Amino acid sequence: MSAARKVLTTTETLLRERGRPVEPPVHRASAAAVIRNPWAGSGHVDDLSATAAQVAPGLARELADRLAASLGGTAQIAAFGKAAIVGLGGEIEHGAALIHTPYFGNVLRELVGGSSIIVFADERGPAGTTLAVPVWHKTAAATRSHYQSVPVRVPDAPRDDEIVVIAAAATGPRPHPRIGDRTTDPAVRLADLETR
Amino acid sequence: MNIRKIVSFTDDTHAEGGRPVTPPARTAVVLAVLENPWAGQGFVTDLAPGIEEFASPLGELLAPRVAEALGRPIEAYGKAAVVGLSGEVEHGSALIHTLKFGDHFRKAAEATTLLPAVEKRACAGTVFDIPLKHVTDATIRSHHQSIEVRVADAPGPDEIVIGLAAAAQGRPQARLAPLSSER
Repeated sequence: MSAARKVLTTTETLLRERGRPVEPPVHRASAAAVIRNPWAGSGHVDDLSATAAQVAPGLARELADRLAASLGGTAQIAAFGKAAIVGLGGEIEHGAALIHTPYFGNVLRELVGGSSIIVFADERGPAGTTLAVPVWHKTAAATRSHYQSVPVRVPDAPRDDEIVVIAAAATGPRPHPRIGDRTTDPAVRLADLETR
Repeated sequence: MNIRKIVSFTDDTHAEGGRPVTPPARTAVVLAVLENPWAGQGFVTDLAPGIEEFASPLGELLAPRVAEALGRPIEAYGKAAVVGLSGEVEHGSALIHTLKFGDHFRKAAEATTLLPAVEKRACAGTVFDIPLKHVTDATIRSHHQSIEVRVADAPGPDEIVIGLAAAAQGRPQARLAPLSSER
């Protein structure tokens, strides 16, 4: 059985933007697992590593499986990201312990077929907190067209002693990306901007 | 029909009240964000032509998607229309309160009862709750439930969000006495 109290998945299929068709349509998905904060009620815990190593891999597997199922397989996933929303009784450090170690990140990266560092967001808040989870390209993080965010909200979580652990992904870029890339940017130096 | 995007949500509840839910309780919602067919036309007295054009295709689009998202037999269902601030609630009601729309879902769910609904006018990012009732007997209390959803950037002022919701079971840990026990 899942360690989570509940797991929410969302998908979005973007068909049009400002009236223009998005071709091919871009699919975005998030998977959010609500778990009890493993350090709830323990006061200040110095060493979070053992528990993180125990809890994080299973979460990463469950979330990666759901993203793949939502988007038609890992081959369809172009961009990915991760996040944690920690309930008010916990520390951001607790969420960080679950998502910012190889026990989560490497598992998610490997299952999704990525090589980039995984972009993230974290927040402490009440149940119903909305978090924009950033995603970027899974093998070429500097690909500007793929910088985007997937909004995630669980109405009844996190409770004070819970953590929402999230993975998000997209099959393509933003609708109609047209801000260039590093290869097309002019050289911009502070000195050149002083008259502006 | 100008659909900007289609959004889906599934919720698998593995525990409730501290007790395991076996199998996990699953609910699903699929929403279409579309241009209000009557946007920019002022007060339109006769909505029938728009209903004729859009209600059935919308039901046909959403019903199989929510059935697929649930992935199990549908035991409870509901629908929603959230109209952007420049429209009328009547526009949303027009799209969902006809058999042309609802029968697609009724057929997919092998249902016989009326679909409970939420209709409101609101800004983008509004939170709304879709009520669900049992698909063949609307008095079955265990299946009275609501699913809360939100789309961050919809409905825009000239948009409508139309949705269907389904549950594969009643409430997790439902334990109310049936209506018949009070009669």
